[in-house]
Amino acid sequence: MLKKLRQKRISIIVLLIVAIICAFMLKERYLALVLCFICINTIAVTGLDILFGYTGQVSFGHAAYYAIGAYGSTLLSMKAGIPPAISILMASLISMVLGMIIAIPAAKLVKHFLSLLTIAFGQMVYIFISITDPLTNGYSGIMAIPHISLFGYTFTSNQSNFFLLLAITILVLIAKNRIIKSRVGRAFIAVRENTQAANGMGINVRYYKIMAFAISAFLTGLAGALYAHLVCFISPDSFTNTTSNLFMTMLLFGGIGSLAGPVIGSAILVIVTELMQSFVAYQMLIYAIFILAVLFYLPNGVIGILDTFRAKVKNKFGKKAE
Amino acid sequence: MIVQLIIGALMIGSVYGIVGLGYGMIYKASGLMTLAQGDMLMIGSFLGITFYKYLKFPFIVSLLLTMFIMFCLGEFIERAMVTTLLKKGAEPVYIILCTISVSMILQNSAMFIWGRNYLQFPSLFKTATVKILGYDIVPENLLCLGVGILCMVAMHFFMTKSKFGTSMRAAAQDETAASALGINVPATKGAAWGIASMLAGGVGVVVGPIFGVYMSMGAMIGQKGFAGAVVGGYGNMYGAIAGGMFFGFVETFISAYVSSSYKDLISFSVLIIVMIFMPTGLFKEQVME
Repeated sequence: MLKKLRQKRISIIVLLIVAIICAFMLKERYLALVLCFICINTIAVTGLDILFGYTGQVSFGHAAYYAIGAYGSTLLSMKAGIPPAISILMASLISMVLGMIIAIPAAKLVKHFLSLLTIAFGQMVYIFISITDPLTNGYSGIMAIPHISLFGYTFTSNQSNFFLLLAITILVLIAKNRIIKSRVGRAFIAVRENTQAANGMGINVRYYKIMAFAISAFLTGLAGALYAHLVCFISPDSFTNTTSNLFMTMLLFGGIGSLAGPVIGSAILVIVTELMQSFVAYQMLIYAIFILAVLFYLPNGVIGILDTFRAKVKNKFGKKAE
Repeated sequence: MIVQLIIGALMIGSVYGIVGLGYGMIYKASGLMTLAQGDMLMIGSFLGITFYKYLKFPFIVSLLLTMFIMFCLGEFIERAMVTTLLKKGAEPVYIILCTISVSMILQNSAMFIWGRNYLQFPSLFKTATVKILGYDIVPENLLCLGVGILCMVAMHFFMTKSKFGTSMRAAAQDETAASALGINVPATKGAAWGIASMLAGGVGVVVGPIFGVYMSMGAMIGQKGFAGAVVGGYGNMYGAIAGGMFFGFVETFISAYVSSSYKDLISFSVLIIVMIFMPTGLFKEQVME
């Protein structure tokens, strides 16, 4: 009871700090946009986390689903005249279906070959959107994408978009928490830990692998669609394999298999990217250094550091065993 | 027309084949996967142009020097990064991420040292084309094909006839048994990474005069190389060469008879279809759990 109360107090303090920072950042248009990017990347990385962090299935081609969401929603809203709020959901569903199609062969491949397959898929989608000029306008991209409008209100300013994206991000995080705490989430973790044992326990491994791919592709597609309607301009440059690697970097840096990991990872990486805007040529080098730092020094990401710190504090001040 | 196309296809196919051979060697020797082969090729190309154009070394010296430096670079990456990570208990997926970051670092350092412009490799021969059996053929293509075939034959004899090659194959088959017989298993693993990057670097020098030298030249060649390695059967030396040749032909004939903008899309579609329906590849390598 007391422990629960203390946990609540900590989360309230964290929320207050975040709210104060947000209030300052929201005053400026540019900083509000940065917050929006953090939300979008959090959604995408959360999708990747369900796949890689919980189910242990690697994907180096997640930019493909991001691209499918973005281009799908853009084309549905501009060419078919569907309101953006609905086209975003439809594009996420399309991305989910494609994720399931890729998952059917992927579910039986071992790790290395799964990486190869996902890289190939990512490249294929990138090349497809680059060369089909009549549909996607090729390398020059699509401009003047409509903003999201809900119940007659159009989200044009960055500030209003931030509140919408924040609401969606919180919903996504709650949904993720519910999935992970449920029977499905436990099955995912069982598949990650030991496929044979999971099979022996009566878990349909193939089914859950495909399901993890579907959920992951849905969330990443959703993030892509939201990105398209926030920035109002998309071109193939945003969906290269650098983007896939960026998602992976964010996930690993934040910490895999946790609720807060993707949030922390995407917040830090987005802020670092924005600070380094003048060295844009060396962006890849920065990501590479982040990946290597994680691999060599922070195997569990920032969340891992926080956990060890918390454990140390508990050892010092907590109750001693009698 | 058709003869030039076949020569071109063989040339690009041997490039893909040798890059893919490197992927296969590393996979066989250490069970790990690298994604930095394409960028190794790019670095080799830049080193070659530096030695040949700016330092005015003879071509063969530039080629051998580049191959030596690339061998050391490959060994260094294996020793400094991969082994260290494995000792820390990293999973194989993290090694892939490590090689991805290595490839990013290589691209950025190439940009830092040589700039982001397209560098023109001076032509190696005095004549633009040579006449063979009445067909005009670019001599650089023949050189590339020749070096490719030479590398393949040399690799075949090295792996089957030499003592070190045999011990490499033994270590790939069963590490414990090989080390019990006195084979230095870490050395064979390091040599596999070194040889893979040496081959990629050497190919980089000979494709320089054909494609020009630029920062992102390795990305597409590297991916085609692994596509070739997968189609041939990942980890199989001969499979990688056959797969690389296959993609060389697919690509050349599609860009000649259909459209050059669709060649990459079709190549990757072929790769995905092969992975779905025939994941063991042409040479039946084990890929399932």
